[in-house]
Amino acid sequence: MNQGRTSRQSFLGPDSDERIASITVGVVGLGGGGSHVVQQLAHIGFRDFVIYDDDVVEDSNLNRLVGGTSGDALSLLPKLDIAQRTIHGLVTGARVRGFACRWQNQPEALRECQIVFGCVDSYVGRSELEVSCRRYLAHYIDVGMDVHGTNPPIIGGQVVQSSPGGACMRCMGYLTPARLSEEAARYGEAGARPQVVWPNGVLASTAVGLAVDLVCDWTKKRRRAEYLVYDGNKGTMLQSVTLNHVDLASCPHFPVGDLGEPFEVEL
Amino acid sequence: MIEVRVSREMYEAMRADLARPHEFAAERVGFSMGRIGITASGCMILLTRYCSVPDEHYIDDPTVGARIGTDALTAVAHAIYHGRAKAEGVFHVHVHEHYGKTGMSRTDKAELPKLVPGFRSVGPQAPHGIIIWSLDHAAAWVWLPGSSEPVRADKTSIVGAPISVFREEWLS
Amino acid sequence: MNYPPEQVEELKAYCSKLHYFEEAGFPYFRMGGLRLPTGCSPVEVEALYCPVDRGDGYPSRLFFLEPVSGPFSRNWHVSNLHIQGQNWTAYSWKVGVANPTLAVGLVELMKGLTRPQ
Repeated sequence: MNQGRTSRQSFLGPDSDERIASITVGVVGLGGGGSHVVQQLAHIGFRDFVIYDDDVVEDSNLNRLVGGTSGDALSLLPKLDIAQRTIHGLVTGARVRGFACRWQNQPEALRECQIVFGCVDSYVGRSELEVSCRRYLAHYIDVGMDVHGTNPPIIGGQVVQSSPGGACMRCMGYLTPARLSEEAARYGEAGARPQVVWPNGVLASTAVGLAVDLVCDWTKKRRRAEYLVYDGNKGTMLQSVTLNHVDLASCPHFPVGDLGEPFEVEL
Repeated sequence: MIEVRVSREMYEAMRADLARPHEFAAERVGFSMGRIGITASGCMILLTRYCSVPDEHYIDDPTVGARIGTDALTAVAHAIYHGRAKAEGVFHVHVHEHYGKTGMSRTDKAELPKLVPGFRSVGPQAPHGIIIWSLDHAAAWVWLPGSSEPVRADKTSIVGAPISVFREEWLS
Repeated sequence: MNYPPEQVEELKAYCSKLHYFEEAGFPYFRMGGLRLPTGCSPVEVEALYCPVDRGDGYPSRLFFLEPVSGPFSRNWHVSNLHIQGQNWTAYSWKVGVANPTLAVGLVELMKGLTRPQ
């Protein structure tokens, strides 16, 4: 029952508080995108978190790292600590399992999540998260932004929902050979990519909105998959045209029964 | 901690199958195949596929809600055998038509655990067990490989749109 | 698995154990005890051989579970790639042979460890 703090979100449903509190949510990457996501999830009432980031806050992060302070940058505070501070400051009794490492080095906790937010820099990293989520029947919500071109620069971004049994990021035309090849040709180096707080905010908010709908079903849309493209110059968030001819309810890349511990055939 | 996790799609197919009327059985049963996943808190049973019990495999026994015959159990044994390489086990599934917390009825306690040794003999490396759905909750018992005693699942999750999570500790 | 049995048999000559799996729709051969070319260290290593383009522009890839060194320096641009629940490393080397058999493809990949460039 929605009371007090959550009384203004009662439109999400009479049992929305319990539904939200029942979810184990993962956030991989606690930088510009992930810090927004964590803050919003805590505000809404999620209380069981699994979070990963092995980086520390620096001055150059403060233009976008939500919750970070100048003092944090001076002391090179781990981004993980900022996320934990945000969550515990909003959610009494929150369960936060935080890992100051790559998730691939300690993946077992992430498997317990029903929803995982990927706020990472590389296409390969996104692909790895999606594989893990498919294997353990979790929704994967990807968030990312970039700035490209000049005169004027173009702010772009995406929010992708890849769900068990539904179209994956390859099906939806987000993870393409062109993107993966280009990244491999750069040897995976992202470099100092332009990042600013307001597109991160738009994208994180959209991603969290998708997650809340998966939990509370308040729109009744029951999305099997989603790929939203952000145009920061026009201020639009539109469904990608690549979905026009995609069956969102199926995926040939992830067989539905391929779940659990990896299985191999001895030859 | 043990969690049982199923996709919304499979759950709804399972529920639709179990809701079908039968000529003489008061209720239906089914079998779900499942595999183990290792988690930080313990393990997860991920349901991989659902096997419906054909009408003709039921036995007319008015003393119980549903009774299945040896044909049904032979089919289950075949499914376990074919899933052995993948360590895919079987879970007996049925529905209790009420809301809220559920558990094994007297008949369930008397009959269902007796099935598991047979499952384990065909697929000793796989998990096996029992899942009971209420109209809005679930209870599950899991026999892990190497263990002759079941463990009650702490949580059951239906992942899809929407997500539903049923936790044992909320019931206390 | 859609590979001719005779090609799979040929692969077994290069390792002590051979397994097959698919992940995200891509085929992998896990080669336990893959015997590396002379001059490489270690002598044997656990490796994953993917004989198809995984979408990154490399026609095939060879991934290793532990660091491998050879007579020439290579660009080990893949590190901690998560496949089948483990973390793998790989060097940049593109096989130029068209439609190789599994074994020929593997040999061409391993040449990347012992060729100057």
